[in-house]
Amino acid sequence: MSSFFLQTIFNGILAGCIYALFAIGLTLIYGVLNFVNFAHGELIMWGAYFLYFLMDRPLNLPLSIAFLPALCLTILLGLGSDRFIFKPLRKASRLTLLITSLGLSFFLRNGAQFFWGAEIRTYGFEIKRGMKLFGVSITPNQLAIIVSSTLCMILLYLFFYKSRMGKSMRAISDDLELARVMGIPSDRAIQFTWIIASFLAGLGGILLALDTNLHPGMGLINLVKAFAATLLGGVGNLWGALLGGMIIGLSENIAVLLLSPGYKDAIAFGIMVMMLLIRSSTIFWPKE
Amino acid sequence: MLEVYDLYSGYGKIEVLHGVFLRVSHREIVCIIGPNGSGKSTLLKSIFGLIKPYRGKIQFMGLEISQKDPEEKVALGISYIPQGRNIFPSLSVLENLEMGATPLRDPLKMKKAIQEIFDHYPLLEKKKRLKAGSLSGGEKQILALARTSMIKPELILLDEPSLGLAPKVVDQIYREIDLINHQGVTFLIVEQNARKALRLAHRAYVLDLGVNRLEDTGEGLLQNEEVKRLYLGG
Repeated sequence: MSSFFLQTIFNGILAGCIYALFAIGLTLIYGVLNFVNFAHGELIMWGAYFLYFLMDRPLNLPLSIAFLPALCLTILLGLGSDRFIFKPLRKASRLTLLITSLGLSFFLRNGAQFFWGAEIRTYGFEIKRGMKLFGVSITPNQLAIIVSSTLCMILLYLFFYKSRMGKSMRAISDDLELARVMGIPSDRAIQFTWIIASFLAGLGGILLALDTNLHPGMGLINLVKAFAATLLGGVGNLWGALLGGMIIGLSENIAVLLLSPGYKDAIAFGIMVMMLLIRSSTIFWPKE
Repeated sequence: MLEVYDLYSGYGKIEVLHGVFLRVSHREIVCIIGPNGSGKSTLLKSIFGLIKPYRGKIQFMGLEISQKDPEEKVALGISYIPQGRNIFPSLSVLENLEMGATPLRDPLKMKKAIQEIFDHYPLLEKKKRLKAGSLSGGEKQILALARTSMIKPELILLDEPSLGLAPKVVDQIYREIDLINHQGVTFLIVEQNARKALRLAHRAYVLDLGVNRLEDTGEGLLQNEEVKRLYLGG
């Protein structure tokens, strides 16, 4: 029983790592650009499909070679959506941005369905037996999830607290107008924000698809979890997003001990609804 | 140094300034007083370029700047300190100064400028690791002033520096402004709390309903019966 419980905790942390990657990107965009990007989930999904595309016929690239180009393509998709969609709307109201991002989300989801169909796919690796560690089974993919997300957190910390660009992004997230007044170049910081958010989304999407599978709807469901994590941690708060992701991952997996696994997704939804009831006013309308 | 000529400005269709004239000479402290809603803050925002004026001229050191962006004006040597929220609350005091040093570009110069600020304000150095949001109102205003004077601007546009501060703290802020002015920085200050500002100002304007009403030396306006009655509360 105790090893079963340990396995549950481990699965929770694993899911939490991935949710945290998604939530940090989402909260970053919110902090800097002040809107909830509902198309963030599609960056997650396209990241996974970009890798699938590179590893599938006719290219047949091995994972080690296809991995980085897939991330670069995801970043390009993020930068492109800013350049051609969100940048022209920089001065638009939050409601406009919200609806635009919803539209983009539908467009990208159906785009993926157009190319690859709606069915569930995998990268076609054989399922590897996990190694046993303190009675917990860990597959190499799961190890990769833990290692790469920990590495990401360390790099993000160094970036945001030690580099000038990172500090500028935090300043802009605090107060965009004041940052402009002080001559902090906001355009470059905004581009950097998209690069980081898309990178984290793509990485998380690929890791998730390696551990489970791919389908066009994977973005939406994970967006909900990232959103719930973001709300839990306080919108715009990076470490809150990390913590929120962990809490969602853990509570989902622990709840499976009590409920049928079919209700797993309801946990994140429940937390989201609860947080929206408590603090909705701060999310969709200006922080004053 | 700064000349505003027949300036019309506002927000969208709502015109707030209906032809304002203003002149600020090198090394002066010029104060604009006037009641709430008279367009004082709008005037500063228009000069800095946060709002684009409808028409009229703004000249800075002989250059027409009325349609330039804030970024260009910072590069020309104009700095603006907004009222109320004028620091980054979630950044540390040191990080606030680092951000303020952005226009200096060279990392060595930035370091030196920040060290000079710390030498001058030991209190800020003592609290450099703290979040700026945890400072007191007066300390925040000092931080905003320090961060702005650090890049050695020619002209500082200062919006309501005394807002929400205790009288003793206001005195301290004005002493700092005086000190920075003696280092050669020109000030254009907007104040509702007019007495203290007028005592310090070389010249002052009264702005009401978007047009100039009066212009005099600071002392002159302080003695003016009409100003006393209408704008200084008796």
